Amino acid sequence: TASRLLGGIRWLGAAAQQVIPLGARAASGLSKDMPPGPYPRTPEERTDAAKKYNMRVEDYEPYPDDGFRFGDSPKLPERSQHERDPWYDWDHSELRLNWGEPMHFDLDMYTRNHVDTSPTPVSWNTMCKHLLSFVGFMLFMFYLGEMYPSYQPVAPKQYPYNNLYLEHGGDPSANPESVKHYEI
Amino acid sequence: MNFTLNSMILLSIIMLVSPLLYNMLMPHKTTYFPTYCKNMIMMAFMTSLPPMIIFMLYGQESVITNWHWFSITTFNISMSFKLDFFSIIFIPIALYDAWSILEFSLWYMHSDIFIHKFFKYLVSFLLTMIILVSANNLFQLFIGWEGVGIMSFLLIGWWYGRTDANTAALQAIIYNRIGDIGFMLTMAWLMLNSNSWELQNIFSTNMDFIALLGLIIAATGKSAQFGLHPWLPSAMEGPTPVSALLHSSTMVVAGIFLLIRFHPMMENNQMILTTILCLGAMTTLFTAICAITQNDIKKIVAFSTSSQLGLMMVTVGLNQPHLAFLHICTHAFFKAMLFLCSGSIIHSLNDEQDIRKMGGLFLILPITSSALMTGSLALVGTPFLAGFYSKDSIIEAINTSYTNSWALMMTLIATSLTAIYSLRIIYYALLGNPRFSSISPINENNPNLINPIMRLAMGSIFAGFLVTMSIPPMTSITMTMPDMIKLSALLITLAGLAIGMELNSFTNKLMNSMKHTTNFSNMLGYFTYFTHRIYPLMNLYSGQRIATMLIDMNWYEKTGPKGQTNIHSSMSSLLTSTQKGLIKVYFMSFLISITLALMFASMSTNNF
Repeated sequence: TASRLLGGIRWLGAAAQQVIPLGARAASGLSKDMPPGPYPRTPEERTDAAKKYNMRVEDYEPYPDDGFRFGDSPKLPERSQHERDPWYDWDHSELRLNWGEPMHFDLDMYTRNHVDTSPTPVSWNTMCKHLLSFVGFMLFMFYLGEMYPSYQPVAPKQYPYNNLYLEHGGDPSANPESVKHYEI
Repeated sequence: MNFTLNSMILLSIIMLVSPLLYNMLMPHKTTYFPTYCKNMIMMAFMTSLPPMIIFMLYGQESVITNWHWFSITTFNISMSFKLDFFSIIFIPIALYDAWSILEFSLWYMHSDIFIHKFFKYLVSFLLTMIILVSANNLFQLFIGWEGVGIMSFLLIGWWYGRTDANTAALQAIIYNRIGDIGFMLTMAWLMLNSNSWELQNIFSTNMDFIALLGLIIAATGKSAQFGLHPWLPSAMEGPTPVSALLHSSTMVVAGIFLLIRFHPMMENNQMILTTILCLGAMTTLFTAICAITQNDIKKIVAFSTSSQLGLMMVTVGLNQPHLAFLHICTHAFFKAMLFLCSGSIIHSLNDEQDIRKMGGLFLILPITSSALMTGSLALVGTPFLAGFYSKDSIIEAINTSYTNSWALMMTLIATSLTAIYSLRIIYYALLGNPRFSSISPINENNPNLINPIMRLAMGSIFAGFLVTMSIPPMTSITMTMPDMIKLSALLITLAGLAIGMELNSFTNKLMNSMKHTTNFSNMLGYFTYFTHRIYPLMNLYSGQRIATMLIDMNWYEKTGPKGQTNIHSSMSSLLTSTQKGLIKVYFMSFLISITLALMFASMSTNNF
């Protein structure tokens, strides 16, 4: 039992060396100064905010303080990730973003699975006009088509010889009126 | 015979489960698994043939109700299979297509590490599809419906490292979901008004416009009709076998199949039929317009599928569900074959999908190119190939019916556009001089490639004749019509071919004047740009603002301190204007009001 006790103490010592000391934190996660803070009012606060977002002080421009609580998030151009260079070796290739780069406030909307703001060969107004006028034209024409449908023209059977006057027992000597037949 | 039919169909369905069980119980045995899957599907196809023959000879249908699942007071749901005209004929055809496509996948996906997972996905898709077509109650149909949607998502996003494939899979799921809302609307209506989801009970009640509209929305979502169509061309991000199986022959016809199943309810409702007709005509024309200027071979075939789905919708709108079903069956053959041929071309050219970089494959890939041409001829409705029996009948039916004339016009224009884009594929991919580098060793030596294509080619040629001659005519069709109308489909197609040839020859004559007129067609009618930029932007933007800013601001400030401050200050400023310290006026008001009150009190007691 003494050897077992010794082994147990040695095991306890080895385990204790691996224990993380109390109060120690991992090197990941946001530190106290990293998340967005309140709207920067003084120039020193602006400089600190620009440094936090890895931007130059000249480039840094927060959203205007209109009570909507953007805080000190930088106002980056409203362009989606579709417009970034697909061939450049980004750190995060699917996000087309580098590590430490200031992220747009709506980055989750501007990823490649969501909204695309890339320029189109045809202007937005032209596209809207053409599409809506096409759909409107179609709907109008369908309405006209309902009003004037297409059908196989059929008519009641038209019998020859004055609607078979003699066969129906008409008087051969009398002069019947002639029946008008229609051509289809 | 009843026993034979029931047991063989059930056995056929159970055979589809065995590959899944095999992979679940022995996941490490993956080498032989793909071939095992293919063989099981072949066996399942063979097993499902006798029931079809029995049906064709004796007209034997059956409803198999196996197992009572649950009941909520008077509402019963059980597992039941409806083996009528539609499902008995569709199941062997779907299995035949799946057999060919699985064999093709053995060649196409050969270099993929997770080929066993691919086959597992394809088999589970097939299982859910067959559950869908053989379901007798809407709950089972919905299980199949959602199942094919999920498998479509997994298979479109097969190469999940590619963000475009992820976007396409997401698109497919979301558009299908919007269709599911309609389906659930119908299910809810039926639950309330007919207390049953069994088809035989539903057919004895009368369905309202709302309930049938729900079905139309479901079909719009699943079968990519105009309005919810963009997911189908985007779904070409998936591997070619996926496009061949799901997005041409089986999954996208599920919406049309649903409408065909419910045709007794729609026969008497002219408004619903008109809606379906106009929606189908719009779809078939719009997608045919989009197809004629595409440059990706798979996208052209995808738009062709969408256009044919519109045509099927038109047929349902003409109150001819059996013709629509016939078109589903024949379309499955030649469309799957077109996809397999394009897969063969793509793989041979080292994954080149742009038709502007193909050419001169006619002598290099003889079997593929003859199959491509046969499939295209069948698609445009060449007399006595498979497509003729269904397509020509549909065109004859629409010409001789009392219908919306614009829908008729749209369908005829779309038929000629079909010829144009089919010729486009053939012209750019097969004819002319090669526009690709001549380094790739192109061959067709693998039997896993040749046998499926040949099998589907045989199907494209003979299936139309065999199916048409074996089924009894369910409706009386108009046989008498003028010569021009009888030949109209053929003439329109020939006109389309002539125009297509003319347009194609523009490219090597360098006529540049068409630049701006093709923008509408090439950019898919601007529909995707319009929809995918406005709706997500509005919803996500407003969602973000409301969820993080507006709600916070309101709950923390407006309903709390600041809101109270505003209310109090406005109320008090309103009231202070009256409190001006006019004591004499206040005493006078007391006097007057007491006098008036006494007068009213004395008057009310009638005590003069």
